[in-house]
Amino acid sequence: MAFPLPRGITPPEISFLAEMEMVTILPRQRLEGLELLGGPVEPLLPPRRASLPLWLALLLKRQRRANILPPTWLHPESLSLILEIETQHHEYQHAFSPPPPLPGQPSLRDRGQRPVAVPRYTPDGGRYYPAPPFLPQNVAQDHVPSGEPPSLPFHWLEVGTMLLDAASDDLVDPDQTRRLLKELREVRTAKIRSGVDVLDVASTGGGGVALTGVGAMEVGEGRGFIAGVVDGLRKIGASKEQARREQMAEDMANGGYDATQDDDDDMEF
Amino acid sequence: MDIDDILASVDRNDVSTPESAALDHQLLTRFWVAERGVSELLPWPEALMNRMMERVRKQIETIEDLAASSSDPTTTNNSNNNPTLNLKLSILQTDLSRTQYLLRSILRQRISKLTKNSMHYLLRVSSAASSQPSQQHPDSQNNSDQQPEDSIPDLTAVTDPSPLSSQELDFLRAHQTLLAGHFGASFLGSFPAQLRRLDDNAGGVSMVQGPDPREVVFVRCLVESVGVVVPPGDGVEVETVGTEMRMGDVWVVRWEGVRGAWERGEVEVL
Repeated sequence: MAFPLPRGITPPEISFLAEMEMVTILPRQRLEGLELLGGPVEPLLPPRRASLPLWLALLLKRQRRANILPPTWLHPESLSLILEIETQHHEYQHAFSPPPPLPGQPSLRDRGQRPVAVPRYTPDGGRYYPAPPFLPQNVAQDHVPSGEPPSLPFHWLEVGTMLLDAASDDLVDPDQTRRLLKELREVRTAKIRSGVDVLDVASTGGGGVALTGVGAMEVGEGRGFIAGVVDGLRKIGASKEQARREQMAEDMANGGYDATQDDDDDMEF
Repeated sequence: MDIDDILASVDRNDVSTPESAALDHQLLTRFWVAERGVSELLPWPEALMNRMMERVRKQIETIEDLAASSSDPTTTNNSNNNPTLNLKLSILQTDLSRTQYLLRSILRQRISKLTKNSMHYLLRVSSAASSQPSQQHPDSQNNSDQQPEDSIPDLTAVTDPSPLSSQELDFLRAHQTLLAGHFGASFLGSFPAQLRRLDDNAGGVSMVQGPDPREVVFVRCLVESVGVVVPPGDGVEVETVGTEMRMGDVWVVRWEGVRGAWERGEVEVL
């Protein structure tokens, strides 16, 4: 009974993670720079904007010491555009709308370019590629590059809900935003449900199911069900898989096996 | 020498800068999510944990100094500074609690994994230390004084407790000794001697259960492309590569298929 929680981070833990996202604030009072365990915090000098972790921004907001500038994607216009992509766009009928690109990944406009991942180095010499919640996906942008469709960040539901909760007076149109977030959530939940059919692929060795564009909370919600179904299917199909592997070993011994003919259809949902 | 190596050596030099604190915080957070999401125990990140513990210790000192100066009656003349000081203190304390929560959650999750599959990890650590693990108990079958505690492997020769930390190994040995003693006293003692072991593999089936590396995890691909591997087994001797993940993709795949990529930092567990 050392630890009662199930495998995989639970919704409260996902919110905890989302509170590490950086947001833009407009401070109302001065505060010198601090050196936190989570990294340095820049000095607050009104009226200059500053980027802070969400938990700190909410702490200052609740004490009326700062205003939070909502991230670009949380504007009703952006949200309705994303909702349109999710519902109307033929390409994304069974898939989530594309997530914001990682550093080094080409944006949606120039899709033809090859991604180049640029690592940082850890003190132990390992490679480290930053990912959400440590990317500036929720900071306010003054000018949006033209032709760039808005996209939902990984922690969209948590950040959106927390900002609506604590800083609704800073948002452009909180009621409309709340309604759009709810609609997006329903559309995307329906996509997860309809994708159950392809889970069989993830239960075979070397296979997998793509969920690109999924949000953190959606992973948290679906984790128990998806992992349970896939593990159940794997146990049912264990003898079939073993037979397939033995057949493969035989083919390899006869010298004619081509590894690429393995059924690795990457179905998305 | 590559430009990457030069950059790496510059990055690695100083671990006391605020930037390296931010990086370590990100590494710790990512490790926490992975440890919570994966069925088996991940290798103990010794250097990272030592750095974090040192930082936490220093931060507690800083907070105590600040708190002492705020309550010190001799410095109350600058009372207009006090509101910011209180705010600063509460920010520092919140930040400290968040980091301590991460550390505690990692440790508790690891202890939970260890106690769930205790014999598996004990045998794994002891067999990595000695090259011939099978000859530990030559006449275990006919020994009439057989006790459940005898199945705990001898760990005196263990120099590298990976994937455990040395404290975790001490805990695990003590835990398993108590558990075996309790089992022996409560019911195994009344069994025939040859049925009292906790690592029996009569009939070719081992009773020691380990975590299942085939359980699925959610991962995000962080580099240009990562292949999902199928490790050797079932008569196939070589590793084969199945589906290929592209940068930014989120996939549901078997843990054994991406373990190598995770160790290289090319995927992250969600």
